Amino acid sequence: MIDFNVYKPKKNEVYAYKCPECGTLDYPAPMICRKCGARRDPSGVYFSSWEKIPLKGKCKLLTWSRVYALPEGFLEKYLIFGIVEFENGLRASGRLLVDKPQIGMNLVAKVGLVREKVDEDVLGFMFDKED
Amino acid sequence: MRKVYIVGIGHTNFGNLSELDLDLVDIMAFASTEAMDDAGIRKNRKIVDQVIVANMGGGIINHQTGIASSLVSRLDLEPAMAELIENGPASGASAIKMGFACIASGMVDVVMVTGGELMRTVSGWEGTDFISTLLHPEAEYNYGLTLPAFGGMFTRLYMERYGLTDRELAMVAVKNHENATKNPYAHVITPCTLEAIFDNPDVDTVNPYIAEPVRLYSTCPVSDGAASVIMCAMDSPKMGYFKKKEPIVISGVGSATDTHCVHQREDPLRLKAVQLSAERAYKMAGLSAKDISFAELHDAFLVLELAISEEIGFFKIGASKEAVVKGVTRINGSLPINTSGGLKAKGHPVGATGVSQVYELVKQLRGEAEKGRQVKNPKHGMAVNFGGFGNNVVTTICSKECKK
Repeated sequence: MIDFNVYKPKKNEVYAYKCPECGTLDYPAPMICRKCGARRDPSGVYFSSWEKIPLKGKCKLLTWSRVYALPEGFLEKYLIFGIVEFENGLRASGRLLVDKPQIGMNLVAKVGLVREKVDEDVLGFMFDKED
Repeated sequence: MRKVYIVGIGHTNFGNLSELDLDLVDIMAFASTEAMDDAGIRKNRKIVDQVIVANMGGGIINHQTGIASSLVSRLDLEPAMAELIENGPASGASAIKMGFACIASGMVDVVMVTGGELMRTVSGWEGTDFISTLLHPEAEYNYGLTLPAFGGMFTRLYMERYGLTDRELAMVAVKNHENATKNPYAHVITPCTLEAIFDNPDVDTVNPYIAEPVRLYSTCPVSDGAASVIMCAMDSPKMGYFKKKEPIVISGVGSATDTHCVHQREDPLRLKAVQLSAERAYKMAGLSAKDISFAELHDAFLVLELAISEEIGFFKIGASKEAVVKGVTRINGSLPINTSGGLKAKGHPVGATGVSQVYELVKQLRGEAEKGRQVKNPKHGMAVNFGGFGNNVVTTICSKECKK
């Protein structure tokens, strides 16, 4: 018998990657460290795998737009997008759940369903007001 | 390095060409044939050694590959060498750069560069998705982010930092549309006034938001069309075929890249690839910003005309809006920008745009621009073609006379 309880359930997380040589964090995952040039092998076969650090928590809004020109597959009238900066200095683009955003406002990054594809639910950042 | 002349230019009208019984390669062939006729070599067309095609969406939108080979055959240009260059919305200038390099290196003498796009055959929904495929697949595209989304976020940040107003942005639209009304190849020839698109109680209906604060009239239309240039080495005996028109020299070419994701830039409001591509082109030409007589700048979103004009040294960072208000960049100003109407009004068939910008430089430098939009005695024209959201930018400088 196989006990599936030994498997960890898939987590709703987005990751930054930490260079094992110099500790630099980057998002999205690079293939060469921007700081020291160490190589990353996504499979971890040839080079040591990089530590995945969940990118979440408090962040600050740098800029945003309410976008009506959406691509194929999105039926919403509009979506609001923004770029944020996390407390560790990393930045990311993502969906904004705040209806009246303001540059500089404090937000918290959650992870949710951002796109539905055939046989695949795409997870990504949802930035919301702090609770 | 050998000197490279532009000896022939061709252009189709820009607009919605999807209703015509023409395919992508037919449209490219029209522009190419115009360039051959302009150069006076249609009968001697086999002197073309190399064809370079610029196109972004043939594989996705038109379901066609091997486009360069197809164009050569449709023009009876075999056995010329032929390749396709894809660099997103900067494909056109990249193709010109590669054609320039083919000649400058001594590999060939005569190159024809043709850029074209036929993207109105699909819905706006699909077209927006197609252009978005140039974004980072995981960190940007998956979210439903689009180029207008980045245009909106960039515009908001620019307004916040430099105090640019919605009305000043509308003034750039009016200027570019004014130039386009005199350009028979432009997509939007209808006149546009400040009263119509901004000083109007119905502004949100007439000029609605596409991606706040970017409105309909602060972004370019989706266009089809093609443009072509023929180049020849100055020292080639084949220059003897090109007696019909005054040759224009490509005096500087430069390009540069920046991070794929906008969020990875130290300052998301600085366009380093623009600045560096211009610096490289200036260096090759032995020129600086003050030498440039007029420019075609990639105004896919109007704020980019302003930001690019600053990065290339025309104005101080954050100060270009004052030049707009004073009329410096209008056709009769001291530094006209987007004399063709720009992407805003001439249109933006992505693969054709960079070639079309250089077409405009040559037309102005020859003194052949239509009445009312000819720059007075221009010596050096500059084109900046912007790929991705600023992650791959190509600058081309064309001159009336050899500088070195």
